[in-house]
Amino acid sequence: MNRNKEEWRKYMASLSFSEKIRILERLRERSRVIAAAGLRKQGATARQDSDKRAAD
Amino acid sequence: MKDTLSIINQMQADGVIDHYAIAGAVGATFYLEPAATFDIDILVVLPNLPDSSLLTLSPLYTYLSHRGCRVEREHIVIGNWPVQFLPAGDDLEKNALTEAVPTEVEGVRTWVLSAEYLVALALRTGRLKDRTRILEFLERGAVDRQRLRDILSCHGLLSAWEHFERRYL
Repeated sequence: MNRNKEEWRKYMASLSFSEKIRILERLRERSRVIAAAGLRKQGATARQDSDKRAAD
Repeated sequence: MKDTLSIINQMQADGVIDHYAIAGAVGATFYLEPAATFDIDILVVLPNLPDSSLLTLSPLYTYLSHRGCRVEREHIVIGNWPVQFLPAGDDLEKNALTEAVPTEVEGVRTWVLSAEYLVALALRTGRLKDRTRILEFLERGAVDRQRLRDILSCHGLLSAWEHFERRYL
């Protein structure tokens, strides 16, 4: 497993700068999607809390 | 990123900035495996304004704002990427720009700081993520250690390096 991981890291390091930048962009997009999902969840929780208060 | 770099190149052609090079995590990606990052750090030489000894980013921000780029705290968003412009303020940063490596991203010409200067700047900055990055450079064999020592010696960073070596290597 460790050897495979090391080989994968070497492979990734050997890619061209353009290929690495494309990977960076995909990583960044994924982070944005995850962050947006987190915000939606917080928003939903806040709405539920607000609804509860309104019901009280 | 291609669009971001094209706009920065145009800014250079229009005389708003002089030399520039990609630094930080994106610069390190040139030598290492890609690691997620939020922004692009651009080390830049600003042209001297007539009748002023101050270096200011104002002309750069004005230029970009007129082209639809928006400011977000210390960044300005250029073509989807938040960019932080870091004016080269001392000899280490100016020499780093002089020795920057020309390259291309999808056909767009650009420059990246050399591995040795990226390590020297990371050593000087000294945050946890900087120290981690230095170790990655060393593990990958991505730096010329003698060249690095020469740079560190030239800029008064040898004792910081020896402290780093004792602690981490």
